Amino acid sequence: MTPVRERELMMTRRQLFGRTALGLGTLAMADVMSPWMTSASEDAIVRGGIHHAPKAKRVIYLFMSGGPSHHDLWDYKPKMQDMFGQQLPDHIRSGQRITGMTANQKNGLPVAPSKYKFTHHENNDRGVWVSELLPHTATVVKDLCVIHTAFTEAINHDPAITYIQTGSQVPGRPSLGSWLSYGLGSPNKNLPGYVVMHANSRHAEQSLFARLWGTGFMPSEHQGILLRSQGDPVLYLSNPPGVSSRDRRRQLDALASLNQEMHRQFADPEILSRIRQHEMAYRMQTSVPELMDLSTEGDETFELYGEEARQPGSFAACCLNARRLAERGVRNIQIFHRGWDAHGNLPREHEDQCQDIDQGCAALIKDLKRRGMLDETLVVWGGEFGRTAYCQGGLTRENYGRDHHPRCFTVWMAGGGVKPGITYGRTDDYGYNITDADGNTLDPQPTKEHWTPGTMHIHDLNATILHLMGIDHRKLTYRYQGRDFRLTDIHGHVIHDILA
Amino acid sequence: MRMIVKAGFPGLVAAFCFGTGFGATAVDFAREVLPVLSDKCYACHGPDTQNEKDLRLDSFGEATRDLGGYRAIDPDNPAESEVIARIYDKDDPMPPEDADKQLTESERELIRTWVMSGGQYAEHWSFVKPQKPAPDLDTTRDVNAIDAFVSHRLAEKGAGFAPRAEKSVLARRASLVLTGLPPEPSLVDEFIHDDSSGAYGKLVDRLIADPKFGEHQARYWLDAVRYGDTHGLHLDNRRGIYPYRDWVVRSINDNLPVDTSIEWQLAGDLLPDPGREQLLATGFVRMNPTTSEGGAIPEEFQAKNNFDRTETFGTVFLGMTLNCARCHNHKYDPISQKEYYKLLAFFNSTAEHSMDGNSYTYGPTVRVPENQMAWNRWDRLETRRDRVLGNIFSDQQPDWESVKEYAGQQKLPEFSDWMISSSVPVSVADTESIEWKELKGFPGRRGEVLPDQGEAVWVSFKANTDRSQTLWVEFSTGVDSRVLVDGREIRHTAPHLVDHRATVLPLVIEPGTSRIQVQMTGNGLQTNLELRFIDPWKELAEAGDWNKLDADSRMLLAADSTGPLWKYGEVISAVELATDIQTNKANFTTSLIAKERDTPRETRVLQRGEYNLPMGDPLEPDVLQVMGGLPADAPRNRLGLARWLTSPEHPLVTRVLVNQLWLRVFGEGLVRTPEDFGRQGQQPTHPKLLDWLAVEFQDSGWDLKHMLKLMVMSRTFQQDSERRTDIMDPENRLWSRGPSYRLDAEVLRDTALWASGALDWHMGGEGIKPYQPGGMWLAMAHPASNTKQYIRDKNWRLYRRSLYVYWKRTSPHPMMTLFDAPSRESSCIRRSRTNTPLQSLGLLNETQRVELGRVFAERVMREGRSDQDRMDMMFRLLTSRTPNEREREVCNNLLESMRSRYEGDADAAHQLVAVGDFPRPAGLNPVEQAAWTQLVLTVMASDLSILLY
Repeated sequence: MTPVRERELMMTRRQLFGRTALGLGTLAMADVMSPWMTSASEDAIVRGGIHHAPKAKRVIYLFMSGGPSHHDLWDYKPKMQDMFGQQLPDHIRSGQRITGMTANQKNGLPVAPSKYKFTHHENNDRGVWVSELLPHTATVVKDLCVIHTAFTEAINHDPAITYIQTGSQVPGRPSLGSWLSYGLGSPNKNLPGYVVMHANSRHAEQSLFARLWGTGFMPSEHQGILLRSQGDPVLYLSNPPGVSSRDRRRQLDALASLNQEMHRQFADPEILSRIRQHEMAYRMQTSVPELMDLSTEGDETFELYGEEARQPGSFAACCLNARRLAERGVRNIQIFHRGWDAHGNLPREHEDQCQDIDQGCAALIKDLKRRGMLDETLVVWGGEFGRTAYCQGGLTRENYGRDHHPRCFTVWMAGGGVKPGITYGRTDDYGYNITDADGNTLDPQPTKEHWTPGTMHIHDLNATILHLMGIDHRKLTYRYQGRDFRLTDIHGHVIHDILA
Repeated sequence: MRMIVKAGFPGLVAAFCFGTGFGATAVDFAREVLPVLSDKCYACHGPDTQNEKDLRLDSFGEATRDLGGYRAIDPDNPAESEVIARIYDKDDPMPPEDADKQLTESERELIRTWVMSGGQYAEHWSFVKPQKPAPDLDTTRDVNAIDAFVSHRLAEKGAGFAPRAEKSVLARRASLVLTGLPPEPSLVDEFIHDDSSGAYGKLVDRLIADPKFGEHQARYWLDAVRYGDTHGLHLDNRRGIYPYRDWVVRSINDNLPVDTSIEWQLAGDLLPDPGREQLLATGFVRMNPTTSEGGAIPEEFQAKNNFDRTETFGTVFLGMTLNCARCHNHKYDPISQKEYYKLLAFFNSTAEHSMDGNSYTYGPTVRVPENQMAWNRWDRLETRRDRVLGNIFSDQQPDWESVKEYAGQQKLPEFSDWMISSSVPVSVADTESIEWKELKGFPGRRGEVLPDQGEAVWVSFKANTDRSQTLWVEFSTGVDSRVLVDGREIRHTAPHLVDHRATVLPLVIEPGTSRIQVQMTGNGLQTNLELRFIDPWKELAEAGDWNKLDADSRMLLAADSTGPLWKYGEVISAVELATDIQTNKANFTTSLIAKERDTPRETRVLQRGEYNLPMGDPLEPDVLQVMGGLPADAPRNRLGLARWLTSPEHPLVTRVLVNQLWLRVFGEGLVRTPEDFGRQGQQPTHPKLLDWLAVEFQDSGWDLKHMLKLMVMSRTFQQDSERRTDIMDPENRLWSRGPSYRLDAEVLRDTALWASGALDWHMGGEGIKPYQPGGMWLAMAHPASNTKQYIRDKNWRLYRRSLYVYWKRTSPHPMMTLFDAPSRESSCIRRSRTNTPLQSLGLLNETQRVELGRVFAERVMREGRSDQDRMDMMFRLLTSRTPNEREREVCNNLLESMRSRYEGDADAAHQLVAVGDFPRPAGLNPVEQAAWTQLVLTVMASDLSILLY
């Protein structure tokens, strides 16, 4: 390359910096240069964070798709036992809209107390009640911050899950993970920075959508990469039959020579960048199988995660993969577990669901902790909404169903700068409305427009996740159609009360 | 301080404003000041300011209003203006210290200068109707008007155009831009050897006339309108709307004027006596993602569907984001919340339910030909039909009374003894030997799966009649089939169609009982067992008047050899024609269209965009006033909306559309934010050029082919794309070099299909499903979804152009999304062009690419005699030229090393050349083919093949 060309390339980069105001040049670079390889600030890549020092270097998000029942897992409501089968008092519902599935139900809205036994466990605060469905998770509550007052406006799956993952109920926006990728790039040169896994479920009833880890209007390089349990773990990772790694090496050498020849003619810096992408692909062909190879894990690993962790695609295996990815510096890991949409036969379904996830969740926390990684790894567990206090369909003591409930649901967070062993927020005796610390129902109920202490709108959750990763959710913007878009739209409030 | 220096700034006519008398100091408000005010002040002091007393900066009137002893801008005493005081105020600055967006020093200075010179406002450039500036054409330098504007700017920078690209490079570039495929080598040769001045124009004309042109250009529009083959939300079930996609291709190839196209797409149903195509085009209105999620509230989705339509309308035609105005007045552009809902009112009264019912035929729908061949055939059939019917009674009128009497007496035979056979090979014609069992529910339709792959079932029944009569029987079948009457095979001429689903035949039966046996077989598109009878005489009896029958039924009656009309007209060919027509119609498919409800829905402003918070009075549909009012004679419906868009007075539409075309051709727009022409968008790189093109588009009669030809013919387009060292233009904002960019996902796949010779040229039809890694849909799909299983196609459907790849919106084909195709859940005007390691894996490992690599290898081995020959051929197909020395050396080395590698491991060679379904001829040396396959795959993955340059 001639010095003049060299200079021109430098100009290109400088121009990119210069074009963005307010010190967001780093973002522009992450956008234009490949995020897996380079982002403007080496410091940001290594350390994480762009607006302030991060508390967490990475996030592992355990997403329970379908809406787990807070009533049967986390939000203990003993008074409901006495109300079995009676109509939910009007003042509790207070005219709130409910879905078409139960709005005109013949048996009205009969209260359905949980059939499960709750036990009080000590934490670092007042303790926390945990259902018998989560015996393993109950052993790590001293590390969890259990939030009882997450809420949303959406009452159906598609809008609700799109909302919590992209900040908008309507498709088209970048996902939480792609915002993190856009903001922070990736410190690992051999693995993608944003990895998504789908865990098996016996009740995979609701659909997932590529938009949940997609990029909307952002460049698609920030999308989540699926780590699959069937076929190639990463799409198209394996060489075709009859092609060895050595063959590929020779091909890539030839390819690089041809591309260099192109660069000699056209001097397009993208061509050089593509040569590097081919090389990284080659390295991934080694690093991904190495990642997926569990033979280096000792027996104690499988004691911790359970034998199920040997089954590819099980939730436990995904958790183990998550830890292995975290060890390798992958910044952003999401596991989607479907099947929580228990409109009927909730006990049978939730028992299966909890059996799927319980040990894996607890093992992940313990494993990260013993490796000294929990402090710098944020773990989040939750779904897109909660489930109703009233029954959908037939109600007995032993069997019932629950409809979607957006007004409050339980999410837990752990590690990465979150206060361990606390609970946050409180709901009324029906697990229906959010109350203040004394148990008085908030009136009006909180909205996304105004934050009320003790509550956590899903925008607040996302704002807090970004904050822990060293990002100010108000400043991480991407301009599209003349508007500076944010993950949290024009809302969101960092919940400082739960920060360590 | 910035000054406008003579004609130096190619600013817009309306964008100038002048100082208040003290001579030459002036800033260009619209170009310089307005973007700063919009970005940094309007969020609080703009159109959405809540309190009447608040300071506003979005118009001269507002800015100079007395706010109680002070004014934001004081035109009488500019130095006293509050704006100046506050932006320089250290203690109480504006914007406030904690605001996300701060003014830079030069922006402060700019605002001060502007205020000091009187603070005059001008309309944002894109809201002012474009005028056609006269290009200063220098024919020694420029080819056409485009070049005059571009070279003028270059000359200001002391530079000229880059040298012309090599002819081979230019041919490849033009072909890729126009048709989405490289040029045929013969076309390149012809062009290179044609020294006449019109050689390039001839090449371009041929490319534009090629049907591939429409297929490629249509794709950009499909991105913009978010075309998909599924509903897009929740179950994401199949949706029947692909005929719209095929219509877009046809309309572009036929060069339907774009204003007409817009009218049909927005409001074809509202035209007087709309035809199939006008109705079909309204699929545009139906393209928004929809849901039928259990428990979803219909009113909520009525609102959401409307938001989506209104906002996509804004993006596609107006280059404006309207989303903000859904909840409040637009923060930046002069669009009020009320106006948003008035615009929305145009879309609020369509007839379909707001929930899709998870249905393929989510009505209303129209029945139309099932692919492009069928459209062409249908056009011919209609012409012939109309000719026959026009001539039929020219010599002699029948006695209509007796014909009607005949019609009243006709009835279908009595049917009995319905039986179905077991599945047997199609070759079995002896129905005696087949096992039969009872078939209930016929005539009619049942969910039985028809066998395919050389198997068939027979349906048998008795027809009892007291007269000679013609029985028109329609039955489902995936291919040609046989019919027996009393064991005698009926010879017929029913057409065999691509995508065949059903056949119609006339059976002449005599008095008494006849045994009728019909052979039926399925294919990927037809799986249902169905048989019914067509009774045109009953139709006539009910209609009571020959002229009230539709033309196809009249054709049937005329072609009834047992009926009273038989003796008139061209009766012999009439039977064949009527049969063809009926079979073709039986193969029609449905497509979603827009229709207006009988009673319009009421539209009101929705507070904060919440469906359940309507407020104020019902609103009349109306347009955005800043872009001019509805034309006086335009109706207040979608048709009027279309007329507003296509009126010569509209300031934005043609600018937005020509910018989209420029983006296709040059890889970037003249306006680099093609989805935003508002105050927050970027200024055009060449404002006068954009305006010239916009008006030229109107003057040409909205002629798409003319505009694209202008662009690719320009000297600007013909430049070499090498980065230049004599001028600083890294982002090509001066257009100082030719376009270069990574080709789109579809083009990459299509190029491999075409170069290998595997491409199937059939156009249109239901989306195709090429290879896809297993389980991708199942891992995400709802168990009740009818798109949870990806069943890949076989045979020729695997090798059709990527335009036809089945588009499941919640999980598009991974090779599409890997190379930046949008999900089509929302509008996309400009795709990103990323560069990732996963793309490398896809290019080298994906099944179809490897398959096409080995098919391509086979082709060069078959057609080339020596290594050199073969290498030349490979390069000529992919790069339109032969390799240079260095490239040849690299390729030879790879080829040699692969040869010796596969010689030592024949098993590996066998494995590689067996990838994919494409038939492999016997006798080909697998070692040689494997070595060539590796070379082909490498060159196809290199930037030689995947870039436009």
